[in-house]
Amino acid sequence: MSGGGRTEAARSRRVPRSRAEWVTFAVASSVLAVVIGAVVSLWAGGPPDPPAFETRTVSVREVAAQFHVRVAVKNTGDETAQSVQVSAELTAESEPPQEAEQTIDFLSGGEEEEVEFIFTTDPRKGALAVLVRSFTAR
Amino acid sequence: MRGASGGMLIGIPLLYTMEVWWIGSSTAPSRMAAVLLFSFVPVFFLMRVSGFRQSKDARVVDAVVDSVDALALGIVCVTAVLILLREVTLTTPLAEVVGKVVYEALPFAIGVALARHFLQRSRNAGDDEGEDGDSTTAEATAARTGLHSTIADIGATVIGAVFVAFNIAPTDEIPMLAAASSPTWLLAMVAASLLVSYCIVFEAGFASQAKRRQQRGVLQRPLTETAVCYLVSLLAAAFMLWLFQNLDLGSPWTMSLQHIVLLGLPACVGGAAGRLAT
Repeated sequence: MSGGGRTEAARSRRVPRSRAEWVTFAVASSVLAVVIGAVVSLWAGGPPDPPAFETRTVSVREVAAQFHVRVAVKNTGDETAQSVQVSAELTAESEPPQEAEQTIDFLSGGEEEEVEFIFTTDPRKGALAVLVRSFTAR
Repeated sequence: MRGASGGMLIGIPLLYTMEVWWIGSSTAPSRMAAVLLFSFVPVFFLMRVSGFRQSKDARVVDAVVDSVDALALGIVCVTAVLILLREVTLTTPLAEVVGKVVYEALPFAIGVALARHFLQRSRNAGDDEGEDGDSTTAEATAARTGLHSTIADIGATVIGAVFVAFNIAPTDEIPMLAAASSPTWLLAMVAASLLVSYCIVFEAGFASQAKRRQQRGVLQRPLTETAVCYLVSLLAAAFMLWLFQNLDLGSPWTMSLQHIVLLGLPACVGGAAGRLAT
């Protein structure tokens, strides 16, 4: 009986934290502090700006007599935009205008995505207009 | 190590869920703070019941300290996996990174706490068995030698891999992740899968770890077992992808390989858990 009691007492006796455990806790607290700090800094940034878009042509390459135009679309606002519809219209001399469309599922605030449009005419010899037509606000 | 492995077992399905990435991407900071706070509550109560420490009556201060450790572990591990999956890159906006990490860390941290709660006792029981019943263990181990053990290991790996990866295989996440991956990242994924599998089975201190080290058979050495069972997990992943028509034999082999390696991580996590359960 007394032996069993001693075992129980030994089991329930609290072992002080070792130095390694305190170091682990210090590192863990730092990680958590970084995340909490990031959340607070985002919160302190005030109300988020609605989505706004910037587009720029990144590259043009010729593939099998077609022209692939890579365009970067950036959400310069803070809020996320969903189902972003991007269209590109190419107008070249003596050619009927060509249109192409793309949809980006999600574009977070500050995020940039690249999409490609394909035309049969060299866009460098015409006027290319890239527009964001619509999006769903989250 | 045990906490990270337990978190991986519980948290891996949500790490492969695009809706969670999207929700994380579009979350307001106030909600992020609420999720972070909410994450602390279940982890704290689990730590109160059975924390990292041996004593059964964990004090509040111990539970708080252990909960901080578990949450931080969750944050670090999910960040690493999200980087591997290319869901967090150098160009990802801060708000998106924090949102994704906060949401993914919640189930992971609960997994850390649950791993301690459910598996620690089993481990202790296994340890006791090893000390007090050496002859019994030796006889039992001797009975499971050679081919029988090897087949049992492979079978357990397949069952575990299917158990965890089956609900990921038919989803669009795998092709989506494959589109963002490169050969370098795939190699990193292979290395991470092998490391996680090895840690769960041989380093995390889960139940049956001691028995696994004593086990006889063709896959006797830990490194051999880890490598062979990873290959078995990849085969199981390929079969699951084929079953759900996400693996077309007419597709380029590089694309198929990408899909298999990406599903290989959850499959080998499940496979490792399966081997521990035998």
